[in-house]
Amino acid sequence: MLRPRQMCHIFITGSKNQMEPIIQELYRCNVFHIEEFIEQEMVGYKGLRIGMPLPGASEASSKLIRIRSIENTFGVKFKEVVPRKKVPVQQLRETIDTKLSVIGSEVDQLLTKKSRCETAVKDLEQKINELKPFAAIPLPLEMYNGYQRIAVFTGRISKSPDLNVPNETYFSQTKDGNFIAVFVPAEHSEQVQLSLLKINFVPVPVPKGEGLPQELLNLYTEQITAHKKEVAQIQERLGAMKKEQIEFLAACEEMLSADVEKAEAPLRFAMTEETFLAEGWVPVDEVSSLTEAITRVTGGKCSVTEVPIDLGHDQVPVEYDNPSFARPTEMILTVYSRPKYTEIDPTLVVSIVFPVFFGLILGDVGYGLILLALSMLLRKYITYGEGKDLIDSMRNFSIFSIGFGILYSEFLGFKLPWEPLIFSRHLNIGAHATGHGPMIPELMVMSIWIGILHITLGRVFGMINHARMDHGSHRVKAVLANFGWLLVMWGILAAIWSKFSLPYMPDLSSAPVVAMGLNLVAVIGAVALVLGIVFIGRDNVLEVVEVPTIISHTLSYARLVAVGLSSVAIAMVVNFIAIGIIIEPQLENLSVVGVILMIVGVLVFILGHIGNTALGLIGGGLQSLRLQYVEFFTKFYTGGGIKYKPFGMKQRQFTED
Amino acid sequence: MVDAVAAEMTLEMVMASQLGLKALGAGIAVGLTGIGAGMAEMAIGSAAVGATAENKDIFGLALLLTVIPETIVIFGLVVALLLLF
Repeated sequence: MLRPRQMCHIFITGSKNQMEPIIQELYRCNVFHIEEFIEQEMVGYKGLRIGMPLPGASEASSKLIRIRSIENTFGVKFKEVVPRKKVPVQQLRETIDTKLSVIGSEVDQLLTKKSRCETAVKDLEQKINELKPFAAIPLPLEMYNGYQRIAVFTGRISKSPDLNVPNETYFSQTKDGNFIAVFVPAEHSEQVQLSLLKINFVPVPVPKGEGLPQELLNLYTEQITAHKKEVAQIQERLGAMKKEQIEFLAACEEMLSADVEKAEAPLRFAMTEETFLAEGWVPVDEVSSLTEAITRVTGGKCSVTEVPIDLGHDQVPVEYDNPSFARPTEMILTVYSRPKYTEIDPTLVVSIVFPVFFGLILGDVGYGLILLALSMLLRKYITYGEGKDLIDSMRNFSIFSIGFGILYSEFLGFKLPWEPLIFSRHLNIGAHATGHGPMIPELMVMSIWIGILHITLGRVFGMINHARMDHGSHRVKAVLANFGWLLVMWGILAAIWSKFSLPYMPDLSSAPVVAMGLNLVAVIGAVALVLGIVFIGRDNVLEVVEVPTIISHTLSYARLVAVGLSSVAIAMVVNFIAIGIIIEPQLENLSVVGVILMIVGVLVFILGHIGNTALGLIGGGLQSLRLQYVEFFTKFYTGGGIKYKPFGMKQRQFTED
Repeated sequence: MVDAVAAEMTLEMVMASQLGLKALGAGIAVGLTGIGAGMAEMAIGSAAVGATAENKDIFGLALLLTVIPETIVIFGLVVALLLLF
């Protein structure tokens, strides 16, 4: 709790012929995070070398590439395939070669055929485009050329020409533009060309082929339809194959990627002529079972050594260690930065404080229920990865939202049948609004208190982190600096309390006066403030200029009230517009127009609340997130830990031993 | 003329106009600080998005930098709430 999982630094050494069974066992156990061996590139270096992959690596990877290309053709992701039953690996190994080559060659054939059809369609479409202008002229294509004494002009033109030489002219007028074909004696061709060019003649070449253009067009269109039909059939066949084979392919992929990973593991080990050395990390509670397993498969001919961790030098991989309810929150940490091995992992704190903040902002039974239903619904479709964590977090938030809704007595901006159990946030909106109105001073003081406690917790964590991670004189200075920040904050608070009496805050203004009209508490506050600044300055003088952030960070928690109030205000305004202004006046004397207006009112109500739910989710989520990231984490958190990636497969979905 | 208007002002009117001015002040406090925060976040935000696109790992830091100017609007808000209540 509040710490990452404890790790052990392990060296596994053995002779090379033990390597394969050991790799198999490590893969099966799925707990060994391999520390990659980096070869020294010195001239004349004669030490450990990087290992060679196990035999079969390249064959397995080429098969894997084949399968992934088929996956691409089918346009599916294996991750999204829902397995029906698991296939034994042995059976898969026996059938994979023949089955894969059959599937592969059929897919290849279909793809070649498909691309051939598609090219043909493109060619035909090109031909049709060239032919189209000629379709309006009732001449077969072979009539346009092959003359010795006649010149032919075909092309687009702005208007029908007026030629003063013997000619035969076909002119067609269409939407796309005018088209003309002119046949004139060869000796007049230059003159005709000139007069045609004057009226914007643009020549169009005569397409190759024989027969009437219209007939050709019909023929080509028919051919296109035939090709398209064939493509559709191929597509259908591919679809059928996908349905039939996807599970087999997914199983193969799972098996082969495991094979490849295992075969390539020696690339991450160090080797001598006859022995190998694998360095890595194992969670403390898994060490004994891993050692036992390795000893069993090698018959004790292998050494598993535990080496002490050198925190200054080693990069220890970090695995979260949290109770199950806090797991979705790990995502929030990972997005920011994974904690370092030695520092406090604040996931647990965040997993409690974050939903509380969200509830404080969006404390409304109605919105809470909507979000809860939404997260339940989405959870059915999103079953893995960060999306799942996000939705699970949303579920937790909405539960807190409902809880705070009950405390605030709010349901979609309406009041529930009881008075607010904590501070009221109901605004006086609308004509017959009565009541106390929102208890702003109380709410503000509450938010400030939350800020003070949250920041204090952050600083305490900061002290622990520095005590754990730093060395020498810097360690004392850094811990004292964090304590100094606390002194300054509480000193300021004491000074305020000694002067003013605020609701829900201790009233210390009646403490005995000590000197210069200041009472005891004020003096203590001032001393704490000065001492705190000294402590901060001793660690880093520049930090002293940051002292005003104490006030801005504490006041920043006012957003818990402010964003929440704005959400309440929007809800109440929506209710007032929809019910108070649109629906209620119509109820007094019903008419057809009135009924339509009432429907509009209902629409306004629904749309308004949908919008406000979205705003509440974004506002509540982001503002609470920011309070964690900016106000809380900056006090103690550095992050930058590397992820613990055990060598093995997380969960086998399609295959079994 | 001025005296005539002043003479017609009742206590309720004065109170009401004071309330109105308070509301105006609160609105200006939130509005202007909001604009200020927005303008400051505009540049930081676009740079942060660009940086995050290059390297996803700095999302946390980018978000942190982006929201720093929000303090301005929070101060405005505190002033507004103090004015109103």
